[in-house]
Amino acid sequence: MSFLGFILKTLVRQKVRTWLTVLGISIGITTVVALGSVVGGLKETSAQLLRAYDSDFIVAQKGASDLSFSAVTEEEWAAVDARDDVERTVGALLHVARAGGNPYFVTVGVRAEDLAKIDLNIRDGRLIAPGATDEVMLGVRAADKLNAGVGETVELDRRTYTVVGIMKADSVWEDSGAFAPLATVQEHAKKPNVVTMIYVKVKPGLDRHEVADAIEDDNPLLSAVADVDEYSEVDQGIVIMDALNIAISALAVGIGAIGVMNTMVMSVFERTREIGILRAVGWSGNRILRMIIGESLALCLIAAAVGTALGVAASRAVLYIPAVGSLLEPAYTLDVFVRALFVAVVVALVGAVYPALRALRLTPMEALRHE
Amino acid sequence: MSSEPIIEISGVVKTFEKGVIAALRGADLSVRAGEWVAIVGPSGCGKSTLLHLIAALDVPDCGTVRVKDHVLETKKNLSHFRARDVGLIFQLHNLLPTLTAAENVQVPMFEAGMSSRERSRRAQELLALVGLDGKEKQHPAELSGGERQRVAIARALANEPPILLADEPTGSLDSEAGRHVLDLLARLRDERGLTIVMVTHDADVAARADRIIRMLDGRVVGDETLRAAPAAASGSAH
Ligand SMILES: Nc1ncnc2c1ncn2[C@@H]1O[C@H](COP(=O)(O)OP(=O)(O)OP(=O)(O)O)[C@@H](O)[C@H]1O
Ligand SMILES: [Mg+2]
Repeated sequence: MSFLGFILKTLVRQKVRTWLTVLGISIGITTVVALGSVVGGLKETSAQLLRAYDSDFIVAQKGASDLSFSAVTEEEWAAVDARDDVERTVGALLHVARAGGNPYFVTVGVRAEDLAKIDLNIRDGRLIAPGATDEVMLGVRAADKLNAGVGETVELDRRTYTVVGIMKADSVWEDSGAFAPLATVQEHAKKPNVVTMIYVKVKPGLDRHEVADAIEDDNPLLSAVADVDEYSEVDQGIVIMDALNIAISALAVGIGAIGVMNTMVMSVFERTREIGILRAVGWSGNRILRMIIGESLALCLIAAAVGTALGVAASRAVLYIPAVGSLLEPAYTLDVFVRALFVAVVVALVGAVYPALRALRLTPMEALRHE
Repeated sequence: MSSEPIIEISGVVKTFEKGVIAALRGADLSVRAGEWVAIVGPSGCGKSTLLHLIAALDVPDCGTVRVKDHVLETKKNLSHFRARDVGLIFQLHNLLPTLTAAENVQVPMFEAGMSSRERSRRAQELLALVGLDGKEKQHPAELSGGERQRVAIARALANEPPILLADEPTGSLDSEAGRHVLDLLARLRDERGLTIVMVTHDADVAARADRIIRMLDGRVVGDETLRAAPAAASGSAH
């Protein structure tokens, strides 16, 4: 029998308690993994948004609480486009429409001539023709969901468009949406002469951050976002999601930690006499400590495995919500899993401290006399 | 030709509850290597307390307890002593219920730095020694009281200590099972030269020992040698 085997036997002895505790902690781990990967996916979507169409950064309205509220006038856009340090700009008006069963279908209004500047990966058909008013290009996911091919019609917010092309983009949200003529979307969204944001590509050789700063200096109403951490200047959503992620995870983990502590206290208390026997036959305080921490760690590591599996499952499950599924792909980055493991280990140590101190405070005699 | 004492207790006082209860009030005792000593006396006279001091489960308020070359004091690394120098047997609730007989015997060996394979081989040997061949995989609940006590004896021998300490080892057994346990102790003393200190309140059990120590109110009041201890292997036989 190994020392580890000895520890596991104790956990196996109390099967029900062990599993309930594992379940309790794993809910915390599930939360960490599910929220972490979803928020990570959201950040990735934002990062893709910033660098889409081979551009260097986006320009949007300063201080917008949500990017969809941002409005950049066509005059402001023209001013940016006319700059010496800017190679090209693409204006985009994001409009959320209903399409089929999805109420969060993102339609991107762009000028036909701007579309031509973008190196689009066209799977089928062609670009929107200049001057056309009711043509759309669908992302591959959207085409699939709406079950529409080139030449067929789709209905976005009760307006009928003809599908002229299918394209594959780099991000889930673009693939799940559509391009439509800017003027049509402006009219439809009742936002005449504005776009949500401008994609800016700087002249070769220039530093994108410097150009972004210069644009902000020249127009105090605009914000140029070159990195995800500046994203909050034009959208508070990520900041709020981040805060919620931390708060909810901390709460879930806290509840898990109390569960472990409770289990360990009970388990150690019930075995006071056994611990007395172990000490009487020569086990050092150190080994008793390792035994208790080992039990707690084993509980938490099992919970980490269970919780990670549940967390991945939960993050896949939320994709069935159309709004989420068309916006992001959960990001299963290493740091999400490292965080889950870290949380499990910390919870294990915290849960073991009190019972361990209690077990060691008793002399072997006191422990043996315990009934 | 008496050999050096292996256990030497002098003027030991031990109180509990902040001095309110005096369990030992100046006890003296000297035990030679290879001796089998029975400690008898009325309930509450301090027999178990004395045994626990020898086992280093506790330390005296004053006086000295010396076992082999160790003077047992708080600051010493007592767990090392407990693991190697003495083997301890209690009356009841002796074994860990989740472990098999063989695993119970292995418990003290963790502190002796043996490999897992060595531990299980040794546990097997010790169980054979106490007559429990084939019962290695039984859990305590599946063993009789006498068998459990023999597992406890095997465990006490795990790290080959020179001294065996037993508190009412037959107290919860019927006379038949009790006799088996005592026969085993006698054999261990004869074959391995173990020093045995045994607490009992049963006169028949005490009669199996070489020497009977009588206690009363925390002191040793009588010392009767029934038979000469076998020409003890000189103090450091082990
Ligand atoms: N840890 C302790 N805390 C308080 N009192 C104790 C403790 N240990 C022993 N005592 C008291 O000290 C006295 C001696 O106890 P001890 O257990 O040594 O007696 P004993 O001779 O073994 O008795 P018995 O034959 O009933 O086992 C008793 O009055 C007992 O209540
Ligand atoms: Mg007693």
